[in-house]
Amino acid sequence: MRRALIMTLLLGMVVTQAFAADVIKIAITGPFTGGSAPMGASMRDGAKLAIAEINAAGGIKVGAKMMKFEVTERDDEAKNERGALIAQELASMTDLSGIIGSVNTGVVLAGDKHLQEKGITKIITPAAGSASLTQWSKAGVKDLSIFRFAAHDGIQAAMVVEEAVKRNLLKVALFHDSTNYGVSGRDDMLDQIKKQGNKLEIVATEKFNIGDKDMTAQLLRAKNAGAQAILIWGIGPELAAIANGMAKIGIKAPLIGGWPLSMSNFLDNAGKNGNGTMMPQTFIEEPITPKAKAFIDGYHKTYKVTRIPSPVSAAQGYDAVYIFAAAVKQAQSTDTHKIKEALEDLKEPVKGVIATWQKPYSKWDPANFDTHEAFRRDQAVMGMVKDGHVVFANDADRQRLIKSATAVKGKKAK
Amino acid sequence: MNDSVVAQMVVSGALMGLVYALIAYGFQLTYATSKSINFGQGELVMVSAFICLSLTNLGLPYPVMVPLGLFCGSLLGLFVERSGVRLALEQKSEGWILLTIIIGLLFFSVSENIWGRDDRPFPTPIPSDAIQLFGISVTPVEISVAVGVFMIMGIIELFKRKTLLGKAFEAVSADRDAAELMGISATKTIMLSYSLSGMVAALAGILVAPITTVGPTMASALVLKAFSVAVVAGLDSGFGVVVIGLFLGALESLTSYYVGSGWREAPGLVLLILALAIRPTGVFGAAVIRKV
Amino acid sequence: MLKRLFLILGVEALLLVVLAVIPLTVNNSFVLGLLTLLAIYGILLIGLDITVGYLGQVNLAQAAFLGLGAYTAALTVTRFGFGMPAALIAAAAVGCLFGGALSFPALRLEGPQFALSTLSFMALTTTALNEWESLTGGAQGLQVPRPPLFGVMLGPKGFYWLCLILLVFVWIAMRNLLSSQWGRAFEALRDSPIATDAMGIGTLRNKAAAFTLGSGLGGLAGGLYAFNFQYLQPQVFVYDLMVILLLGVVLGGRKSLWGAFVGATIVVLLPNLLSSRILFQAFSGLGFLLALTAGIRGFVTKTTRPFQAVAPVVAMGMLVVGGIFTSNTEDWRKAIFALMLFAVMVGLPEGLMGFAASFLTRLFRIPPPELPEPVPLDEVLVKKVTDGGPLLELLDLKHYFGGVRAVDGVTLTISSGAIHGLIGPNGSGKSTLVNVISGLYAPTSGGILLHGKPLAKGSLFKVAQRGLSRTFQNLQLFSELSALDNVMVAMKGIYRSPLPLVLLGLTRKNERRAQIDALTLLKMVGLMDDCRVPAKDLPYGAQRFLEIARALARRPDLLILDEPAAGLAQPDITRLLQIIRRIHDRGITIILIEHHMDVVSELCNIVTVLDHGKIIAEGEPGEVKRHPKVIEAYLGGTVEPAGQQYIEQGNIVPVPA
Repeated sequence: MRRALIMTLLLGMVVTQAFAADVIKIAITGPFTGGSAPMGASMRDGAKLAIAEINAAGGIKVGAKMMKFEVTERDDEAKNERGALIAQELASMTDLSGIIGSVNTGVVLAGDKHLQEKGITKIITPAAGSASLTQWSKAGVKDLSIFRFAAHDGIQAAMVVEEAVKRNLLKVALFHDSTNYGVSGRDDMLDQIKKQGNKLEIVATEKFNIGDKDMTAQLLRAKNAGAQAILIWGIGPELAAIANGMAKIGIKAPLIGGWPLSMSNFLDNAGKNGNGTMMPQTFIEEPITPKAKAFIDGYHKTYKVTRIPSPVSAAQGYDAVYIFAAAVKQAQSTDTHKIKEALEDLKEPVKGVIATWQKPYSKWDPANFDTHEAFRRDQAVMGMVKDGHVVFANDADRQRLIKSATAVKGKKAK
Repeated sequence: MNDSVVAQMVVSGALMGLVYALIAYGFQLTYATSKSINFGQGELVMVSAFICLSLTNLGLPYPVMVPLGLFCGSLLGLFVERSGVRLALEQKSEGWILLTIIIGLLFFSVSENIWGRDDRPFPTPIPSDAIQLFGISVTPVEISVAVGVFMIMGIIELFKRKTLLGKAFEAVSADRDAAELMGISATKTIMLSYSLSGMVAALAGILVAPITTVGPTMASALVLKAFSVAVVAGLDSGFGVVVIGLFLGALESLTSYYVGSGWREAPGLVLLILALAIRPTGVFGAAVIRKV
Repeated sequence: MLKRLFLILGVEALLLVVLAVIPLTVNNSFVLGLLTLLAIYGILLIGLDITVGYLGQVNLAQAAFLGLGAYTAALTVTRFGFGMPAALIAAAAVGCLFGGALSFPALRLEGPQFALSTLSFMALTTTALNEWESLTGGAQGLQVPRPPLFGVMLGPKGFYWLCLILLVFVWIAMRNLLSSQWGRAFEALRDSPIATDAMGIGTLRNKAAAFTLGSGLGGLAGGLYAFNFQYLQPQVFVYDLMVILLLGVVLGGRKSLWGAFVGATIVVLLPNLLSSRILFQAFSGLGFLLALTAGIRGFVTKTTRPFQAVAPVVAMGMLVVGGIFTSNTEDWRKAIFALMLFAVMVGLPEGLMGFAASFLTRLFRIPPPELPEPVPLDEVLVKKVTDGGPLLELLDLKHYFGGVRAVDGVTLTISSGAIHGLIGPNGSGKSTLVNVISGLYAPTSGGILLHGKPLAKGSLFKVAQRGLSRTFQNLQLFSELSALDNVMVAMKGIYRSPLPLVLLGLTRKNERRAQIDALTLLKMVGLMDDCRVPAKDLPYGAQRFLEIARALARRPDLLILDEPAAGLAQPDITRLLQIIRRIHDRGITIILIEHHMDVVSELCNIVTVLDHGKIIAEGEPGEVKRHPKVIEAYLGGTVEPAGQQYIEQGNIVPVPA
């Protein structure tokens, strides 16, 4: 028995030894089990797809060697405490090149300080809560190793409010879930309504809990207050319960809200009741470009699914890896500090599935957290649900995107 | 405030309350015979719903899928009894509390890996478009829950009163030792109660899934409410759960409307603590005379 | 004695030194983070163990106290600008406060009802923390800076040592408390609330004290938690966390400080260690082999049930096999955790420490602590002077259960110094009468006077305080306590010391005296040699005698013996007679309820006969036996010589209906 144990341990050491040389160690963290798992697992699987592609092509040339990625996965279960411990664990790994992940803003707030302390490069995706980066602005840190690769809530809220104004839906009800995500989304929307000149009148502010199935009371309040649109911040299953509840008590106002409205658990469960729902999008699970087609097919094949639970998370995970890989290549090093510096000044554009990324980040400036944000207002478009699919809500967006894509191409040709 | 809004909320809340009642009934069945309950009942609801979804995806029609699903539910109930409850009862310990929680955790993790982590719609032939009854919107799916609750409870209560096996069930509930002296096997009766409880969980899964959608966490919020309903009603009172379930559901809905949606659960919780402090055996539970 | 001290304290000191030194040798923030959390959870679980282990109740509110403590500490610092000591004290105080408040509605509850009321409290707490955004920041959380401690800014190491020091303090204080009269009272409460009241220990204040204390520790742990993570969110302190905490306590081993610590280790380390595939395989392989050896051993020696031997092997086997076939163990983490817990739970129901403790005790032959010598009985039960005047008076006492008139107008006087027999056929109301007198039931009407003053109605506790003590027809021993502890916990006198002194361990002298007195009483009933045996493992006869010794520990004026001879064999009955005579010698008045007529004839100076809740005869035993109404009551017919003879033989039996 004892011998078996020793053998196991020895074997383990040998195995680790064998892998220790000539690899780029990267960690992926996020909730892979529990309620937030659709986003966490999609992000992870998207990222691992990119890593598999890079490794299959032989890896990245660093110096004279071709180096492959080696992944460490950590499930934070959407729990802050686990998140903090995992961050400590990763921070104490001496040879870690970087981290990709995090779905829950609470986990980010609990854990990232340990990473920043050691200067470990992390690309946050798909957690969108504004506080993930504003916390560093507030603290006034001079040098930051945390980046984000997601359309943060500030952008999304601005688009949601704009959309309501544009469509002349001036009496709105704010709905949000009772988690960090929902509440900070609510605050972002309130903020944006003020910024955009208080054109919207808020007739009701309603909250719902994760797991709630009966939303009649909240919806009746919105209905009686005469809401013309419901601006909503929450995640899939509860969003579907709201859409279904609206159909039940006969509310015709459209739902406009954060990107989780595009998740398949909303589209499927709301069915035809989801039609007309609008949300900002960075990626739509439709093979509109060859790159997108390859990505979607690859995902379906590798993970034996017929749809991606959260396409936005998967695509962002995928692109984040390519951006990280570009930084490794440019830094010619697996040292996390050097990768950070390379990320802040990427010379080559990175072709991703969402877009072609030109200098996504720049040197951190505490006064402007956009320096570590990859997404700008114009990388996101408004999507609308139509018969279980997300399509462009405004044709102008489509035109603009096509134009910008050709512009990038043109630049490159020069 | 007009009456129709209040009526709408009371009805919507109460229909949700019936879901709590149905799951709560599963607690009562096992408590009656064994003084134990399955803390992983929510996972049983969830796994049954997933199994039924898989059966439907295999192409089985609804009328075939339902009995098969119920059968699977009762098998799962038996599994819980065998692996998590029997040993603890033999040792006269309260180990079943944690063992059933642990088995629930196992079910949860296994389902996540087999069926995925996402919530999915549950196909049902019952339409989900709202209809108007006396000015109140209800969906046929919600009505089917109500019908199902009363049917299964009626059938099981009839079974307990009219059949020999059912009478054995009642005998063990009333006095386990005396029943054993009369030659009734308490172990077998407890197995029966767990399989019935599993069946009720499966039915709850089938009826509720079109409303809640099917996903690993579909029942975790419901089951805590159901536990409250079962205990407040009294763990030995058959139809008490219906009354308390209706009441709690309606109360939550009204609180949400009048107090604020964030406080939805608070009055129910306070009432619950008070109800227990005043009547420890539950509102409909039999008062216990302490004997020495 | 020395060996015991050396081994137990030695191991504890060694562990402490190792824990304290680790940060000096290993410079790794992850290890430090885990250790800090371990110390915090140690405190939290020790608190939880008070209710779960000692009170034996499923307490689902500990996570809420952790949260309340954390938010209190955070707000004390961020809002009011206090330092760390004030914040931690406030956190513990808030825990105590809410724990005390919750204990009142929860006091009457047990089992699932208790679990639910604590669960509701937790849900309420989370709702309140989430909704009160102006104070707590709501769901968006609260950033908490770590304040300096007495002007010193604590780094990760310093903070870890602070947590460790607090854990040591809590550990020592809890050991003092739990080995004192308080700890025994908590356990008594778990085993028999009725006897706890009847022995004048009081369920109310002990339950409240236990719950308050456990919650206070939860609050303290919360304060440390806040300064450790420096970011709080209400959704952290919910049911999921609570389940993990409960698992920790039970798996570690209930009723044990070590158990709580081991539980904390499991809760903190296991999920983090399982992330590593190699460690996972090592664990599952080792666990499988352990389960296999234990299973085979259990089968061969037939000490375990087949299921208990097989199930852990199957569970661990599934892990080993599954580990080979799954590519991604991170996806199966919860299942892995569940299977491991399942194997431990089934294989070692006493928890890891419960198992380890009995194993190590055998391995090192650790002797139990030595006991003092008993003293002459006279020093413990000082002889009371009896004057033959009325001691207990019942005035037209009635007690109805619905329509059943169990006691229907009994007027009776018990003279001081008497052995007063109370007989009657089954269902005649004897036990109900005794239950009404001793306060288990409140009478429907009528009066009870003791020493000429009215006795509290319907409160076992208050009646016991007045100098009335009793035994029970269906034994109500504190079954998991040893015979000695059963008597010690009921001991009346100066033995209960003030809580602060107990926590500081300054009450050893009182303990010693209680021990001596209890041993003296055990010697009188002939149980000296069995004094370390748990009550539930004593033979039936010995359990009856133990109840008498326990009742005497109250030093009562009036002792009610409820069918003490029921089920006893002849030699034990002879011993019983001697014991009762010796008690009577000490000037204690006795009410004896008995079916054995020969016992009654032998002992009693006066006998009262009850039937259908009414007195039908009273007088000397010989006289009463010939009373026609008595014979009719017992035999259901008119006076027949055969019947009379039957009663005289001492075989009064119930009449067939």
